[in-house]
Amino acid sequence: MAENSGTDPAVERSAEENAATSGTIIMVTVKTPKDKEEIAISEDASVSQFKEEISKRFKAKQDQLVLIFAGKILKDGDTLSQHGIKDGLTVHLVIKTAQNNVSFSNAYFVNSGTANTASPGPAVNLGTSQGSGPSPATSQPASLFTGFGDLSSLANLGMGSANFMELQQQMQRQLMSNPEMLSQIMENPLVQNMMSNPDLMRQMIMANPQMQQLMERNPEISHMLNNPELMRQTMELARNPAMMQEMMRNQDRALSNLESIPGGYNALRRMYTDIQEPMFSAAREQFGNNPFSALGVNADSPGAQPSRTENREPLPNPWGPPDTTSAATGTTTTSSTSSTTPSVSNPLGISSSSLGNGIFNSPGMQSLMQQISENPQLMQNMLSAPYMRSMMQSLAQNPEVASQVLMNNPLFAGNPQLQEQMRHQLPVFLQQMQNPEALSVMTNPRAMQALMQIQQGLQTLQTEAPGLMPSLIASGIPGGIPTGVNVTPENPPAPTSGPGSSPAAGTNPAQQQLMQQMLQMFAGGSASSQTPEVRFQQQLEQLSAMGFINREANLQALIATGGDINAAIERLLGSQPS
Amino acid sequence: MSRSYGVKVPRNFRLLEELEEGQKGVGDGTVSWGLEDDDDMTLTRWRGMIIGPPRTIYENRMYSLRVECGPRYPETPPFVRFVTKINLNGVHNSSGVVDTRAVSALAKWQNSYSIRVVLQELRRLMMCKENMKLPQPPEGQIYTN
Repeated sequence: MAENSGTDPAVERSAEENAATSGTIIMVTVKTPKDKEEIAISEDASVSQFKEEISKRFKAKQDQLVLIFAGKILKDGDTLSQHGIKDGLTVHLVIKTAQNNVSFSNAYFVNSGTANTASPGPAVNLGTSQGSGPSPATSQPASLFTGFGDLSSLANLGMGSANFMELQQQMQRQLMSNPEMLSQIMENPLVQNMMSNPDLMRQMIMANPQMQQLMERNPEISHMLNNPELMRQTMELARNPAMMQEMMRNQDRALSNLESIPGGYNALRRMYTDIQEPMFSAAREQFGNNPFSALGVNADSPGAQPSRTENREPLPNPWGPPDTTSAATGTTTTSSTSSTTPSVSNPLGISSSSLGNGIFNSPGMQSLMQQISENPQLMQNMLSAPYMRSMMQSLAQNPEVASQVLMNNPLFAGNPQLQEQMRHQLPVFLQQMQNPEALSVMTNPRAMQALMQIQQGLQTLQTEAPGLMPSLIASGIPGGIPTGVNVTPENPPAPTSGPGSSPAAGTNPAQQQLMQQMLQMFAGGSASSQTPEVRFQQQLEQLSAMGFINREANLQALIATGGDINAAIERLLGSQPS
Repeated sequence: MSRSYGVKVPRNFRLLEELEEGQKGVGDGTVSWGLEDDDDMTLTRWRGMIIGPPRTIYENRMYSLRVECGPRYPETPPFVRFVTKINLNGVHNSSGVVDTRAVSALAKWQNSYSIRVVLQELRRLMMCKENMKLPQPPEGQIYTN
């Protein structure tokens, strides 16, 4: 067996698999940029045997492994001795993931969760046929489109409109790609060429496994994909942001009409769960965690309150934030889904109907909310969209639906007391939504920023002096804190809980009281009481070790990205003039 | 290797040391180097490999290079050329030869530098703003001349 020069039992044990090739067992260090392992292998083993061992240890498939020794790539047919690999030497390993080619970095090709093998494939072919230059560039939008279920992917197409650019900027967190590069890509005529090729686009889209799943479940989608006319229209849309918005608006209107039909709400909801959720799940890869799980977790009051409150931000009323954020979702998801599901659910419309339901479980929401919180301008853009208005109006006019929607919010479900409260407040909130004052506050970025600051202050106060809070709140904190939502508990800025009162109508005692409670709950429920600096201590150290010496900028980037180092680095790099 | 006393280590000793380092994987694992031909007694022709840095257009790719350490190495810098096609400032588009003046490690060569230093410098260049987004030829192409 393999006991000839096995130095220790461990060696012998693992070397038993190599027993077929007798010979001295050597210990070879296999090093990836991330870690390193010692592998015992027979000295006259072949490279493929070695790869077998490695694939077990590194939990990767053999064909994903690329081995490099002394500057040469080891081919499967070679032997270790051929390359002079002896005991104690180090072989470098690169693991190509199925989607992205290198495991340790997903960044550049945008969609970690999507099948990029398909996209480099056709893209490379395209590249070779069309010339060498921009092919990697083309493969990028290819992969972008491949991740059709990803909200951010479309946003990353850099569609040019203010909304999208901002969304793109802020949704980069997980994506880590350079926005400038993307806009350059978009301008590249080859890219446009490629995008106008419906077959190619279809191929890309279908290559995404999530899309495939989606298509299985919903044949409509595959119909749609197979319809060249539609594909072309979609690509037109993608290229033309104005058109996209127009289409979204139409959809929104259509859906809000649908919603008012008895039973329509349910249909929409069904559509949502069937279509939307998987798409959002696809997007989830991008966004990592599920922001709304944070909400859901805080199911017990006072946790429920902050969750509920957070839900409601950034608009000063319960349906506002969900509307707005769903509007944002709509903005992005509709962009991503509109082309895929023009006949199917409009996330925007559905959001409005199923406010708490599922929408908040979408990872897209989190990033949206975060964007909103970070970017009041975005809020303004969203609010000024006519569809937002129409949606809010329809909700206001239809208190039945509104209450139904609200009650269906799973967060409420666990707390009947809240439901009661909400029900009482319903008419008030409805009115508030209509209140132009409220709207104007929301559209005023500075006001929102101020509110955010207040929020922050409250939060700090809450933690510092819990007893102080009620009295503070009672003193009429400017209500309607329509600041952006920030769902993740770690994020210090601005989770709003302003839904209670409109800025001007702060005199309404009922509203005020409710808001006060919410604020309290919110502040009480906030998970972290540390300053961002303390929380991001570790990340800051890492950043400065990497050479980012501007601590201020680092901190801001970290706050903006919620402690995500990679995304923070992107922000820092992106802020430099290129 | 200490240069502090101005000791000149003979070429072959240096190269053997570099060979050993290459085999042991000294460094961060993003570059690799070794003799092109194990029987090369003159230790002149070397092969290098650079793993494209993440978050650049070179990501996912492995670039193969040829490094030639002349008879006056390490007093004089080695000749470096890419085998894998690459679009990088300082690398000739048609031949893959690395322009000595463009790479500071080569332009301001010192005895204490090594093949590893050159490879790492090239990798750093890939991460520069001006390079990190350059469109690249399709993967797998090599220079033929």
